[in-house]
Amino acid sequence: MSFLAQAVRQVLRQVPNRSLSLAGAMRSLSISPAVGQQNKLATESVDISAIAKDQQKECQSICERINRQVQKSEQGRLFAVVHLCGKQFKITPGDVILVEGYWPPTIGDEISLDKVLLAGARDFTLVGRPILEPGLVSVKATVVEKTLSHTKTHFRKKRRKQYMRINFQRSPHTMVRINSIELARPVDGEAPPSEPSKRLF
Amino acid sequence: MVFLNLPLLVRARGPDEFWRKRRIFKLAAHYRSRTRNVYSFAIRSVHRALAYATKGRKLKKLDMAQLWSTRVEAGCQQYGVGLETFKEGLARSDILLNKKVLSDLAIWEPRSFEALVKISRERAAVEGMPDIKRRSAFNQVYGLSNLKLD
Repeated sequence: MSFLAQAVRQVLRQVPNRSLSLAGAMRSLSISPAVGQQNKLATESVDISAIAKDQQKECQSICERINRQVQKSEQGRLFAVVHLCGKQFKITPGDVILVEGYWPPTIGDEISLDKVLLAGARDFTLVGRPILEPGLVSVKATVVEKTLSHTKTHFRKKRRKQYMRINFQRSPHTMVRINSIELARPVDGEAPPSEPSKRLF
Repeated sequence: MVFLNLPLLVRARGPDEFWRKRRIFKLAAHYRSRTRNVYSFAIRSVHRALAYATKGRKLKKLDMAQLWSTRVEAGCQQYGVGLETFKEGLARSDILLNKKVLSDLAIWEPRSFEALVKISRERAAVEGMPDIKRRSAFNQVYGLSNLKLD
């Protein structure tokens, strides 16, 4: 069932009427129409291995089509969903995202956002479970600005109880500019032998 | 305590009255009618406004969460899947996108969202979740036990 795992990991989609997504792939396995399914289950003999091969072929052809499109750089602008500082952001190159609270990187730092949950272009979407394979999509970003938020007044008062408190707070804000989002290597290709990584997760 | 002269009998009122009142009037500058000009009215409404602002910061987060669920629900109902089934199906497929991102996708990336709904619905059907009417092809051909997803 390796094809199924593959299909679930990378749901790839082309023109809608020729949809080859996972759902479509699974549905095509149905041996009889939905109405008459209850009674005649295994009456028809099904060559499972042939079906599996078909599915595998479909998966491969989808990956190839994506790779071809990326090679010709016809995929257009990529978007990605990244996990950063406990929040998820949907980003595209040129975006500025705001990270609230204490965050160590300083102005001018070039960072790569590695927790990519989802990446997509005009004709395909790669869905991670929960994140895409490391090194498949490279998201580069620069820390642009570090400031404080506006002053937030924290005011509490209870009537007739002589209770009143007022505090002021400003939290650090960091602006991060997304420089580029790129497919670093072919989809479903072999991962390059990785050097011992410095990643924390 | 011994009061030696008359001015010390007066209760200490903190900073100078003018500046103390001015701070309040500055916050009340855009109010209407006497809440803008009369101190006793102004301070009442300024205190109330500040308390509301403090509470509102928490409520805003709750409101946004509600709005996102509404949007995601509307998005997946287009394809005849309920919100709970959709979320459960995604979670069981190890797709951990949050409500904010899902609502963004539903609005701006409808085709990606459609793919997510399909994954979720298929997973729900495979695992036989009650909301899904159509049974999965997998359950009938192979049986659930033969299904090895990772």
